[in-house]
Amino acid sequence: MKPGWFLRLAAFCGYSLLLAPALLVLVISFSAGDFLNFPPPGFSLRWYAALIDNGQLMAALRNSALLALGVAAIALAAGLPAAYAIARLDFPGRGALAGFLAAPLLLPTLVLGLALLLALQPMRLAATWPGLMLAHAMVAVPFAVRIMTTAFGGVPKDLEEAAWTLGATRFRAALRVTLPLAAPGAIAAGALCFLVSFDETVISLFLVGPRLSTLPVEMFRYAENRTDPLVAALAMTLIGVALAVVLLVERLVGFRRAVGRN
Amino acid sequence: MIGLLLCLPAALILGLGFVWPVLLLARISFNRTTDMGAMEQAWTLDTYAKIVTDDFTWDLAWNTVTLSAGCAAAAVALALPVTLLIRSADPRWRGLLALLAVAPLLVSGTARVVGWMAILGDQGMINALLTGLGIASDPVRLINNLTGVRIGLTESLMPYCCLVLIAGLSRLDSRLEEAAATLGATRSRTFLRVTLPLAAPALLAAFLLAFVLGVSAFVTPRLMGGGRVFVVATEIFDMALETVDWPAAAALAMLLLGALVLAMVLRGVTAGREAPR
Amino acid sequence: MSHLRLERLERRFPGTATPAVDGISLDLPQGALLALLGPSGCGKTTTLRMIAGLEAPDGGRILVAGRDVTPLPPHRRNMGVVFQSYALFPHLSAAANVSFGLEMRGVARAERAKRVADALALVGLADLSARKPRQLSGGQQQRVALARALAPQPDLLLLDEPLSALDAKLREEVRDEIRAVQQRLGTTTVFVTHDQTEALAMADLVAVMNRGRIEQLASPEEVFERPATRFVATFVGRATILAAEVIGEGLLRAGGVTLQAAETPAAGRVDVFIRPHHLRHLTPDAPAENVLEARVLRRIYTGDIITLECESAAGRLLAEMPGGTPGAAARPGDALRLGVDPADLRVFPA
Repeated sequence: MKPGWFLRLAAFCGYSLLLAPALLVLVISFSAGDFLNFPPPGFSLRWYAALIDNGQLMAALRNSALLALGVAAIALAAGLPAAYAIARLDFPGRGALAGFLAAPLLLPTLVLGLALLLALQPMRLAATWPGLMLAHAMVAVPFAVRIMTTAFGGVPKDLEEAAWTLGATRFRAALRVTLPLAAPGAIAAGALCFLVSFDETVISLFLVGPRLSTLPVEMFRYAENRTDPLVAALAMTLIGVALAVVLLVERLVGFRRAVGRN
Repeated sequence: MIGLLLCLPAALILGLGFVWPVLLLARISFNRTTDMGAMEQAWTLDTYAKIVTDDFTWDLAWNTVTLSAGCAAAAVALALPVTLLIRSADPRWRGLLALLAVAPLLVSGTARVVGWMAILGDQGMINALLTGLGIASDPVRLINNLTGVRIGLTESLMPYCCLVLIAGLSRLDSRLEEAAATLGATRSRTFLRVTLPLAAPALLAAFLLAFVLGVSAFVTPRLMGGGRVFVVATEIFDMALETVDWPAAAALAMLLLGALVLAMVLRGVTAGREAPR
Repeated sequence: MSHLRLERLERRFPGTATPAVDGISLDLPQGALLALLGPSGCGKTTTLRMIAGLEAPDGGRILVAGRDVTPLPPHRRNMGVVFQSYALFPHLSAAANVSFGLEMRGVARAERAKRVADALALVGLADLSARKPRQLSGGQQQRVALARALAPQPDLLLLDEPLSALDAKLREEVRDEIRAVQQRLGTTTVFVTHDQTEALAMADLVAVMNRGRIEQLASPEEVFERPATRFVATFVGRATILAAEVIGEGLLRAGGVTLQAAETPAAGRVDVFIRPHHLRHLTPDAPAENVLEARVLRRIYTGDIITLECESAAGRLLAEMPGGTPGAAARPGDALRLGVDPADLRVFPA
C-alpha cells in the first residue's frame, strides 16, 4: 500500500531527528565563527587547521587509531578460532561458551568501565596501553565472535568434507577452504572491532589518564567544557573515520555479503 | 577438546577483562568506606543500606526510570513511522532508507551531542529561527537541562528501535493490510485495527530495549544535561571518579545491574509469551 | 579378490529408535561399480559417508584391498568423493579444484600440472580450467567434481547422488560419461542413487537397500528380473501383483486361474509379482504354460512401448507391448490372450 501523507510527514520528522545532529556537525565544523551558532557567520577551514595544530588532540587521535588497530587484531585473532569452534566443532559446553562469549554485550558499558577501573587501578594498569587494550578487546571480542560464527556457518560443511576426502587434514581444510571463504566476514569483523574501539567513550573515560588518552574521551571532555566549532571538526573526524571504514568494507567485500545472509 | 582449546584465547580475554572485574565490582560493593573516605575491606551491607535509605537515591532512580521510559516511548513512536515508510517503500530505496535509519549507530554519541548543541543551543538553529521569526524575544533554553537530555536521549535510542522494528515488521504480511482495505477500512482504521495489533510484540520489544539502554545511558545525560541533570549513571560516574567512593559506586552499579537483569527477565517472559503465536 | 569389503557395518544416530545402517556386509571386486539403490532414508548415503570416513560406524569394519580402514580419518583413506552438491571450492578455479587433492598428497608442481590437465581432458573440460565454479554450468561442475575426485588416483571412487541436480536430458549424458570414465580407469566405484534407471544402467552390482539393510545384492538383470524380496519387486520397476494360493508343488491358484511357477512356498496365501514386459501377447492357438485371458481396460501410448491395463479372472494386469507388434494394436474392450513363463513369476508369502 502506498504510504499516506500522515505517515510520510511522521517519517520525515523521524528522519530529521535521526540525521539532523550529524548534518549540523558537518556544517558547523566548517564555520568561520567562534561559537557553535547556526547559521554560521561564514565558512572556513580554520577549525580543522586548529585541530591539526592541537598537539593534545592529535596525540589522542594517534592513540585511538593505534589502539583500534591493535584491538581489531587481537579480537580477530582470539575471536576467529573461537568462532570456528562454535560454528563447526562439537564439544561439551559449546552452547554455554557461546553464551559466555557474548555476555559483555548485555552489560552497560558504564558498569564495565567501573569494574575495569576497580580491577586495573590497584594493579597500576589503568591509563596504560595493556589496560586499555584489554578493556577494548573485551568489548570487541563478542562482536568478532558473533560475526565470524555467522561467516563460518555460511560456508557449506560439505566443502570441508570434500577437502578431507581429498587428503587435507582438518587443520589444512580449515585453512585452505573454510577460512578463505569466510574472509569477507573476517574483514567485516575486523572493521567493526576497529570502530567499536575507535568510538568507545564510556569505558575509556574510566581508564584514561593525563599521559594516555583517546580521541572520544578528549572530545567528551572538550564538549563538556567548551563550545567552539573545534569540537565539531573533531566530531567530523570521528564520523569521517567511521565512514571511511564502512566504505572500505563495502569496497572490499560488499556490505551485504559481509553482514551475512541474515 | 580442540574446540575448548580454540575458544581459550577469547575466553581468557573475557575472563581477565570481564569476569574478574565484574566479580571484583561485586566484592567491593560489600566493602566499607571510612569517615575519612578511605576504603576498608569488609563483608558488610552498610553501603547498600546507606544507598537504599537515602532519599536522593530514590529521586535519582525515579528520574532515571521516568526519563528513560518517556524517551523510549517517544523513540518507538518516532521509529514506527520511519519503519513503516521503509516497509512500504519501493525496493530500490528500501535499502538506503533502512541504512539511513540505523546510520547514527556509526556516529559516536558525543559527536551527535555536538550536533544537538548547534541545533538547541542559545545561538543554535532553533533559537535563531524562533527569534528571527519574532516568536520569542529571548533564547529558549533547550539544552543543559532536562529538555535537552530528553531530546538527545530520544534520538540516541531511535536507531535501536528502528533495528528491532525493521526486523519485527518484515515478518508482517502487507497483504493483511491490503485485505483490510478491500474490506472497506480506511487508512487510519487499517492502521489501528490491523497494523498496530500485529506490530505490538515488536513495539514492546523495541520499547524494552530502548528503556534498558536509556537507563544505563551516560554520555547523553551528562553532556546534554550540562552537569545539571542527575541520573543513576552520572551518579555512579561521579562516585567513582569525583568523590572516589568505590564501595558506593560499586553498590549503586550492582543495584543498577539487578534492575536491568529484572527488566531482561521481564522481557524474556513477555517474549516467551509471544513465541507460540 | 574383493577390493572393498564391508563387514556388519552399523550406524545409529542418537535419539533415533532404528539404526540408520543395520549391519550390512558386502564384497566388491576390483574395478566394479556398485550402486546403492533405495528410497530416501534407507541408509545408503550414511553407508557411503562411513566408507569415506565422514561418519564413524558404531560397529563393523571397512576393508579396502584387505586393509582395515575403519579407524582412519578421511584424509588418510585415499578415496575420491563426488558430493551431491559437488562441493566445489568456490574460491578456486576448476584447475585449482582438481589440483587440490594432488597438493595435499605432496605431488610436485610439474607433475601436478600434468595430472590436472589429464584429469580435465578426461572429462572433456580442458579449455575451461581457469573458470571458477560459478562460471560453469551444472553439467560442467559435475565433471570438474569427477575430475577432482579422480585426479589423485583414489583406491575407491564414491559418488553420492551425483546426477540429482542435473535436468533429465543432461543426466543421461553425464551418467554414460561417468560410466565410461570409470571403466576406462578401472576404478572401483560405489554410487548412491534413488533412481533405479541410473542404478540399472551404470552398475555391475546393485545393492537394493531398505531400512538400513541390503534387501538384494546382485547384477542389474538379476535385481530387475528376479527380485529377491517383495520390497525389491515393488521398488525396482513396475509390477502387477496378484493375490493367490499355493495349491501344490509349483502350482498356484489366482482367482479362477491356475498358474505354474518355478519356485513357490510349500503352502499358504501368496502374492504373485509379474513384470509388465514379461506378459506376452499370444495368438489364439499358441501353446503356453500359463495363459491369462484378459480384456483391455486402458491403453497408454508412450511411443516405443504401449502399456495395456487389463482385467482378467486372476485380477488386474499391466502388460507392456513393444510398438508395432500385434499386441500393441489392442484397444480398450478387446480380448487379449496373455502368456507368462513360470520362471518369470516371483512368489512371496502374503
